[in-house]
Amino acid sequence: MSSAGTSTKIETFIQTANLLSRMNRSQPGARESRTLYYRMLADYYNNIHRARQEGKLIAAHTVFFPTEVLYAMDIVPMHMETTTWLSAFLLKEQSELLAKGSELGLAPEICSPHRGVAGMFALQEIPKPDVILWSNLICDNTAKSGELLMELTGSPGYFLDNPFQDSPGELDYLIGELKEMVTFLEEVSGKKMNWEKLSEIIERTNKEIDLYREINELRKAVPSPMNISGYLELISADYLFPGQVQAIEYLTKLRDELKSSILNKEGAVTNERFRLMNLFIPPLHLLGSLVNIFDEQGAVSVAEPMFTRWSDGKLDPSKPLRSVAQKSFLIPERRSMYGPLKGPAIPDIVESAEQYQVDGAIYWAFMGCRHTCAAIKVIKEALNEIDVPMLTIDCDIIDPTVNSEDEVREQLMQFFEMLEDR
Amino acid sequence: MNTKSTCLPTFERFRAVNKAFPKTQEISEIKQRGEKVFGWLCTYVPEEIIHAAGILPVRITGYPREMELEDANAYLYINNCSFSRSCFQMGISGEYDYLDGVVAGSTCDGARRLFDLWRHYIDIPYSHILTVPRKFTSRAHSLYYDQVKLFKSSLEQYLETHIDDAKLLNSIQVYNEARGKLKKLYELRKADKTPISGSETMEVLNASFRMTKESFNKHLDILLDELSRSREKHHGEARLMVMGSVMNNPEFIKSIEDLGGLVVTDELCTSTRYWSDPVVVDGVEPLEAISKRYLNNYPCARMVPSEERFDRIKKMIREYRVDGVISQIIRYCVPYAHDLPLITQRLQEIGIPILSLDVEYGTSGSGQVRTRVQAFLEMLEARKR
Repeated sequence: MSSAGTSTKIETFIQTANLLSRMNRSQPGARESRTLYYRMLADYYNNIHRARQEGKLIAAHTVFFPTEVLYAMDIVPMHMETTTWLSAFLLKEQSELLAKGSELGLAPEICSPHRGVAGMFALQEIPKPDVILWSNLICDNTAKSGELLMELTGSPGYFLDNPFQDSPGELDYLIGELKEMVTFLEEVSGKKMNWEKLSEIIERTNKEIDLYREINELRKAVPSPMNISGYLELISADYLFPGQVQAIEYLTKLRDELKSSILNKEGAVTNERFRLMNLFIPPLHLLGSLVNIFDEQGAVSVAEPMFTRWSDGKLDPSKPLRSVAQKSFLIPERRSMYGPLKGPAIPDIVESAEQYQVDGAIYWAFMGCRHTCAAIKVIKEALNEIDVPMLTIDCDIIDPTVNSEDEVREQLMQFFEMLEDR
Repeated sequence: MNTKSTCLPTFERFRAVNKAFPKTQEISEIKQRGEKVFGWLCTYVPEEIIHAAGILPVRITGYPREMELEDANAYLYINNCSFSRSCFQMGISGEYDYLDGVVAGSTCDGARRLFDLWRHYIDIPYSHILTVPRKFTSRAHSLYYDQVKLFKSSLEQYLETHIDDAKLLNSIQVYNEARGKLKKLYELRKADKTPISGSETMEVLNASFRMTKESFNKHLDILLDELSRSREKHHGEARLMVMGSVMNNPEFIKSIEDLGGLVVTDELCTSTRYWSDPVVVDGVEPLEAISKRYLNNYPCARMVPSEERFDRIKKMIREYRVDGVISQIIRYCVPYAHDLPLITQRLQEIGIPILSLDVEYGTSGSGQVRTRVQAFLEMLEARKR
């Protein structure tokens, strides 16, 4: 038993991340940014592990939640979806969690990370949070998961209602929601919001977003300096440490490494044959195999506009809460998955395909993500218009029973053959 | 349930409208007169505004039976709910080709993507989507009121007309009248022996969003009168409530009633949640009154906190003396699926058994559903002994 309560899984995350960090460091020619990435994971779960000892509250929250507010209040965030993703990616322990989710009465059509989260809390495999925070950004699953989790954990919670469209009134609505959430968190924690600290976080968030944009620019290079696992590491920085020094340190190192690779004409794979656009997220439990397949075939992921293409705009540190709200309109995922399809979502993808000289696109059709899959045909047609073929692979991002490594390999090989023929 | 179907002339009129839908005679006449017809998706779209603009609002629904939805599967993908896919299949097949506009709310993932693809692939002169908050707070009301105002002005711009307060008040009155009459119809179902069955009530409700409200009100008046004089009475071995995802198939209800249950009430957006709660114009502008009603109405599972919905379900269970609840959730209808463990627990606490069915939109309740309902009814029967 740890100081954070029943936290075996958290301890295993820390140990595994530390081990991977050490292994990476000892590999000749390995990127230092990857070592930093694993260290970032270890730090993140160490914060959760030490929270009780340090007298800090733990806030479990859904994806794309504005955790800048939590960092400013010295509340430790626990990203629920990432925690189940890591169970799949690092520990391959998702089956038990999903089974527990089913036992609770959650239908198999419910997004697997959310079933997994409920299973994780029911099994008491992660520390009991002091507060549950959830939001409708990005889907019905995130909007509806909080209440059951409140019941399972007995923790108080706040639902942050994120408006659907982008208008001044809706921005004001979100600011109002954030203000109310701050009041709620002040009541629960007994601590006041540190506005100065939030301003500093916003200042760093601007830097972080600029780094993302710089990295995106660098990734246009031929050969591509980054492989498929690189983008999943990339997006984790903002998910776990938004506006925090860890994210800046990691992104800065990655940017510098990419610059150096480009200068030395070093690609992520030895013989770059296929420049691919990845849409949505590949099955995380198959990530190791995917890296191997991509390496063998000379395939690289050069663009993932649904997750890496930030909107234009700068945040104002002198208006920190407004900036937190504005950031939720800048994140790539909002345009591509949450808001109306009529707008920049599709043109962004097409423009990315052109800018990054993409040979083909792969859409990872995660069955639990209904609203993103509904855009598959529109995206495919838009890409076909610019002569970019798209492969759609039905999958689940954590559930290994949906498709096997062999099936995925076969689909990819056929696609690569088709690209080769072109 | 033991009795024959109601054979009342007005009821047959409603049934005929449903049989002909989406191309009813009334809709054809309206189109021939050069008037407009709009389709709406989801009960968070304020119909009164469309009505006040002189347009017939009809609810977009899917096929009244389970269908192969090949085109819709390709467009919306197979993991969107079969309600969205069924509606889209009808749209892309041209069955709603007379629509001059489509209006939706950002209510759930399925509805908003159905709207997105309708707008993208189906030629439609006017389309609009309202941001619908998920809370009942004053801030949420203020945002939704802004959205309702925006919708009204967008419609005015499209029609090059002005929708004044007098028109809105008239529409409110017409719609409230319909709500009041439907409430009366439901009141009849509180009796031990009811003059109308659950499946027949579903026919009436289907007609309510496919006819002009003025005509519907007139006919419902007559039906209420006919029912008050009718000698046919329905009663069942168990009094049931149906709840869950969107469902408007009378055949599904009939299959339950054929097995001996009597559906006395429901918690469906096509039924109770459609007619409950009038627009109250009490010291506020008509548009604000409309917006208050739509956001505060008997909530869909999308709203937070869900307890508001659960409390109303429990209240109805008491009022209609419900013995058991049948939850029918369409696959991939995530809001209701998330609420299921919570509502199951709430019902267990008050001693009400619940049967949970995974269904597809349009199902008539045959096969496994039938077997499970049968077993549920037997269990309810055993509890009474």
